[in-house]
Amino acid sequence: MSAVQTAAPPLALRTRRLAVRFRPTRFVLNVILGLIALFWLVPTLSLLVISLRPASSFGVTGWWTVFTAPTQLTLHNYQSLFSTGFASGGILDSAITTALITVPATVLVTVLASLAAYSLVFGRWRGRTAVFLVIVALLVVPVQVALIPVAQLYNAFGHVSGFNPFGTLPGVIIFHVAFGLPFGIFLMRNFYTGIPKDLLEAGRIDGAGEWTLFRRVVLPLGLPAAASLAIFQFIWVWNDLLVGLVFLGGNQHHTLTIYLYGFTRTLANNYWVIATGGIISILIPLAIFFSFQRYFVRGVLAGAVK
Amino acid sequence: MSRVVLKDLTKRYAGGNLAVDRLNLEVGDGEFVCLVGPSGCGKTTALRMIAGLEDISGGQVMIGDKVVNLLPPRDRDIALVFQSYALYPHMSVFDNMAFGLKLRKTPKPEIESAVREAARILDLERYLDRKPGQLSGGQRQRVALGRAIVREPAVFLMDEPLSNLDAKLRVQTRAEIAALQLRLGVTTVYVTHDQVEAMTLGHRVAVLREGRLQQCDTPRRLYEHPCNVFVAGFVGSPAMNLDRLPFDGTAARAGEVGIPLPGAAAAAARQAGLSEVVLGLRPESLSLELDGGGDGATRLSGAVHLVEDTGADAWVHVDAPGGSSALRLVALADARRLPAVGDRIVLAVRVAEAHVFDPATGERLGD
Amino acid sequence: MATVPRRRSLVLRRAVATPAETGGASVDATGLVELGKPPGGGWRSHLGSLLFLAPAAIWLALIVGYPLVGTIRDSFFNNTSTGFVGLANYKTVFSTADILITFRNNVIWVVVAPFLLTFLGLVFAVLTERIRWSTAFKTVVFMPIAFSMTASGLVWNSIMNIDPHIGMLNATLQTVSDWVSPPGLYPVNTSAGQTVSSLAATGLKAGPGGTLESTAAVSPGGTVTLGMIGISPATLQLVGAQTADVPSPASGAVSGLVWRDFSPSHPTTRGQVYPDEDGIAGLSLSLLSSDGSSVGTTQTDAHGDFRFAGVNAGSYRVEVGSGNFSSGFTGIYWLSGTQSITPTSGLSQTAQALLSIPLVDMSMIIAYLWIWAGFAMVIIGAGLAAINREVLEAARIDGATEWQTFRRVTMPMLAPVLIVVFVTMTINVLKIFDIIVNMAPSVSQANTLATELYNVGFASVPSANGTASAIAVLLFILVMPVIYINLRRIR
Repeated sequence: MSAVQTAAPPLALRTRRLAVRFRPTRFVLNVILGLIALFWLVPTLSLLVISLRPASSFGVTGWWTVFTAPTQLTLHNYQSLFSTGFASGGILDSAITTALITVPATVLVTVLASLAAYSLVFGRWRGRTAVFLVIVALLVVPVQVALIPVAQLYNAFGHVSGFNPFGTLPGVIIFHVAFGLPFGIFLMRNFYTGIPKDLLEAGRIDGAGEWTLFRRVVLPLGLPAAASLAIFQFIWVWNDLLVGLVFLGGNQHHTLTIYLYGFTRTLANNYWVIATGGIISILIPLAIFFSFQRYFVRGVLAGAVK
Repeated sequence: MSRVVLKDLTKRYAGGNLAVDRLNLEVGDGEFVCLVGPSGCGKTTALRMIAGLEDISGGQVMIGDKVVNLLPPRDRDIALVFQSYALYPHMSVFDNMAFGLKLRKTPKPEIESAVREAARILDLERYLDRKPGQLSGGQRQRVALGRAIVREPAVFLMDEPLSNLDAKLRVQTRAEIAALQLRLGVTTVYVTHDQVEAMTLGHRVAVLREGRLQQCDTPRRLYEHPCNVFVAGFVGSPAMNLDRLPFDGTAARAGEVGIPLPGAAAAAARQAGLSEVVLGLRPESLSLELDGGGDGATRLSGAVHLVEDTGADAWVHVDAPGGSSALRLVALADARRLPAVGDRIVLAVRVAEAHVFDPATGERLGD
Repeated sequence: MATVPRRRSLVLRRAVATPAETGGASVDATGLVELGKPPGGGWRSHLGSLLFLAPAAIWLALIVGYPLVGTIRDSFFNNTSTGFVGLANYKTVFSTADILITFRNNVIWVVVAPFLLTFLGLVFAVLTERIRWSTAFKTVVFMPIAFSMTASGLVWNSIMNIDPHIGMLNATLQTVSDWVSPPGLYPVNTSAGQTVSSLAATGLKAGPGGTLESTAAVSPGGTVTLGMIGISPATLQLVGAQTADVPSPASGAVSGLVWRDFSPSHPTTRGQVYPDEDGIAGLSLSLLSSDGSSVGTTQTDAHGDFRFAGVNAGSYRVEVGSGNFSSGFTGIYWLSGTQSITPTSGLSQTAQALLSIPLVDMSMIIAYLWIWAGFAMVIIGAGLAAINREVLEAARIDGATEWQTFRRVTMPMLAPVLIVVFVTMTINVLKIFDIIVNMAPSVSQANTLATELYNVGFASVPSANGTASAIAVLLFILVMPVIYINLRRIR
C-alpha cells in the first residue's frame, strides 16, 4: 500500500529528484519497515488473541491458528476474571488498588514538582543552582538503594505513631512520590526557565504575590509541561512492579503488575489469566498513550536523563 | 506630588562592578524624562530599581514624597512597560489589562470601565477578546501601554518599549506615546538607547555612561551645550565631528588653517595651559561652498570621500588636512546640489557654533 | 537568622503604613536602608518561594536522601543491622557464585542492550524519515513503552516458550525447519532418552544412522514380517492405520508387513500377527542390495503392507529409513538458562560460568529492545528533526553523497543525542528487574543485581539486610558515573 502511495504522482512531482533516485530502494524500504512494524505488533496481538481464546486451547494449538479458525474467539476468559467481582486479590480489586496508588502519586508529584520548580526558577534565595544540581544527581538513584532503609523507616514510624505505612497504600504512594520528584522537578524547571522573567515582573508590578504569580501566571503557562509530567508519572507508577512488591508485602490488595507476576511460575496453566489480565492492565496506559501522545512524547524527550 | 527622586542611587553586583554609580536625578510631577545611553550604561538597572525589581545597593528612591527602597513593586504605585511587553500569553487582552486591578480587588464595573476606556484611547476595542499571540507587534505594544494606564499609577516606567517595532511603526508610536503622556500628565521615566527617541520624547533627557549620569537637560540644551565629549558624540545624528587638534592660544590648527575658537572656550583652554583641544563641529555647522565666495568665514578645503543622500538632506564626508592625521568631517549639504566622490571642495566653518573640550578630561571648555 | 526577618518585617510595616498617611511627612528611611540588603521584591517573595520548595525538599530528604545514607551504613552492618561487620558483606557479595553471576548478567546487559538499542533507534529514526507512513510506524514501535515491563515480559515469555504450540518463535522456526526437512510420522524423542533401536521387536535390528533394517535377507518372491513396538495407538489412529495382515507373496517382488507387534489380548507374545494388531501405515522403506545400496523405495499402506516390485534376483534387506523417526524441530530453550555460549578451555567451573553468555540473557534483551526501541527512535528522531536542514543542503551542494552527508554531517551533529540515549538506557539496564522476574522467574542463571537484591533482602526469610545493602551500594556506585555525566551536561 505504501509502495503504491510512494509512486503516486503528487509526491513524485514534489520531490522529483529524490523520487527518481530512490524509487527502487524505496519499495524495498517500505517492505522492510512494514515487516518490522508487523514484528512489533505481534506480541501485543498475541496477548489479545490468547485472552480471547478458550483457556483449554493454550498449549494445544498456537494462538495464530485464530487466523484460520476465528470462531474460537470468546469473551469467556474476561467473564471468568470478572466473575469474582471485587474480591481482594482479584483483577478488579487489583485495578482499583493500582488506581488508588497511581492517582495520588501522580497528583502529588505534579503539584509538588511544579511548586519546587517555581521556587528554583523564580525564587530569589541563594543556592538555587546547588539545590538543582543535587536534584539532578538524585535523578538516577536506583529505587533499590532506598528499599530497605525506607522499610525500616516505616516500621520505626509505626512504633512511634501506631501507624506503620509498610504494607499500606500510603507507604507505596510516599515512596513513588519521592522517586518521581527529581524527574518532575527537572522537567518542570526546564520548562519554567523558558518563561520570560518579564512576565513575573509584570505580575509583581500588577500587584501579585508569589502564590498568585504561581497560580495565575506560571501554572497556566506550564500546563503542557505539567500534563507531560503527569502522564509520564502516571504510566510510570501504574506499571511499577518492584515498589509495590516490596511495600505492599503482606497486603491482601495487589497492584495489577503484582497480580500478573503472581502467575509467572505457573505460566502454562494460567496463561489465559495472564493474557486477559495483561490486556486489562494495559488498557489504561494504552488509552492515555493514544489520547495524549503529544504530551507523552514531550515527557519522554524531557525525561531522557532518567 | 508624584515626582521621582533618585538620591545617590547605586547598584553594585556581587562581583563588585557598579552598574549604577551614585545616580542623582529628580523627575518632576508630570514630567517626561528619558534615560539614554549605550547598552550596559545602567539605564535599565536604574529603572528596575525605581520599579522595585532590583535590589538597591545604596542610595534612595523616592516616589512622591516617600522613600520606597523597601517597598515591593506592587506598593510603589508605578506601572512598567517592558521591552518584551511581558503580556500574559494565556490571558485575553482584556484580562491582561484587568489583571492588576483584579489583584487590587477593584470592583468589577470599575475594572470594566477602566479597561474599556484604555482600550478606546489605544484603539484596542476590537481586540479585547483576543490572546496576545493573535496580535501584531504594534497591537501588543499598545496592550502593554494599556495595562500600564488602566491602573492610573503615579509613575509610568518604560523600558525601551519601542525597540521591538519596525522603523515606521516606531516613529508613529513614539508620537502616540508623547501625546498620551501629555494627555494623562503622568510622571514618566523612559529608558531607551536611541537618542533620537529620547530627544523627541523627553522633556528632559538624562545621558548615562557606565553607570554615571553625564548630563540631564532639555533636548535643546543637551544638543547645544553637551557637557562633555561623550554627550557631544552621543547626541545628534549624524554624530558631531570630534577631532583632536593642536591649539595655538586662540585657534585650533587644521593643517594650514587656524580655526578660531569661541572666546570663552579659548580663554578656558589657555588658562588650563592646553596645547591641544578636542574640537566639536556639528555637521550643520559645516557648509559646502560649491560656488566659492561667501563672507569671511573660516574655510577648509578637502576631497569628498563619501556622499550619503537621505532624500531631504545629504551628508558629505570630506577628508581635510588636520593635526597629526587627516580630518574626516561630515557636513550637511543641500541634497539638490551634491558634489561627486573625489571632488575637491571647500567647507565653510561656522566657528561660533564650535564646541571645545579638554582632551584629557573630556569636559566642555567655555560656556 | 531568626531575628533578622522579624526586624525586617517591622521595618516593612512602617514603610507599608505610609500610603495611608501620604501627602505628609516623608519617612526617613536612610537608617532602614542601612539595615541590610533591601529586599526589592519584598521579603515575602524570598521566604514564600522557599516555602514552595519545602514539601519536595523534605520528601526527598526523607525518602531518598536519608535512605541513601542508611543503605551505605547498613552495608557495613550484619544482616539484622545490629552489629558492625566492616567489609564482610562486600566479601560475601564478591565470593558468592550466585551473586557473581548476577554481575556477569549485568555486564552482559550493559554491554549489549544499550548499544543495540541506540543502533536500532538510529536506524529506525533515519529510515522513517523516508517513508510516508512514518507516524504510523513510530506509533507502532513506540507503543510498547506504555506497557508495564511485567506485561511485556509475560508476552515475551509466551512468545519464547519452548513448545511450538505456545511459543510463536519456536513455531516459526519449526515451520521453516519442517519445510526444509519434514519430521517423520513416528517421531522418536531422542532428547527424552528414547532410541530408534528400542522400537525393533520382530525381524528388525538397528541399522546405521538411526535406521532399522530386517535381520533376515529376503529374495524376490519372498515376504518379510517386521514387528515394531513403542508406537502409541493414538499415533496410529492419527495416520489412519488398519488391522495388520500378512500380504501374499508375488513373483519378482519383495513383499512384507510392518505392524505394531503388541496385542492387548496377548500382551507378552511377539512375532505373531493378531487381529487386534494394526499395521504401521505410511512408513518409508528402502530395499537394500547386499552391498548396502538402495535399489528401490516404497511406503507401507494402511494395513502396514508393502511391496517392492520388479526386483532382480539376489539377496536383499528391507530398511526403515531414519526419516520416519525424525522428530523434526522440537524447539529452542530460549529462556531456560541452560543453553549458553560457554568457553570450554581449561578454566575452573566458576570461571566458566562467569564467562559464559546464557541464551536467556539474549532472549530477554530481545524483549527489552521491543519495549525500548521506540523510545530511542523518538529521541533520536527529535534530534534529527532539530538538525538545521540548511546544513545538510550545504553538504549536498559541497558535493557530499547521501551516505557522506549522513556519516560526516548528520552523525557528528547527532552524537550528543545518541549519548543521551545510550546513557539513559545504561542506567535503565543497570536496574533491570521486571523483565527478569517475569520472563525467567525460576532461572537463577538470569538473575541481575536488582533481582538478587530483592531475593536476598525481601523474598528470602530471614532477609539479609547487610548483603542486600551491599548490593544496593554497588548498584549505586555503578550509576555514579552517570550522575557525573548528567551534572556536567547540565552545567
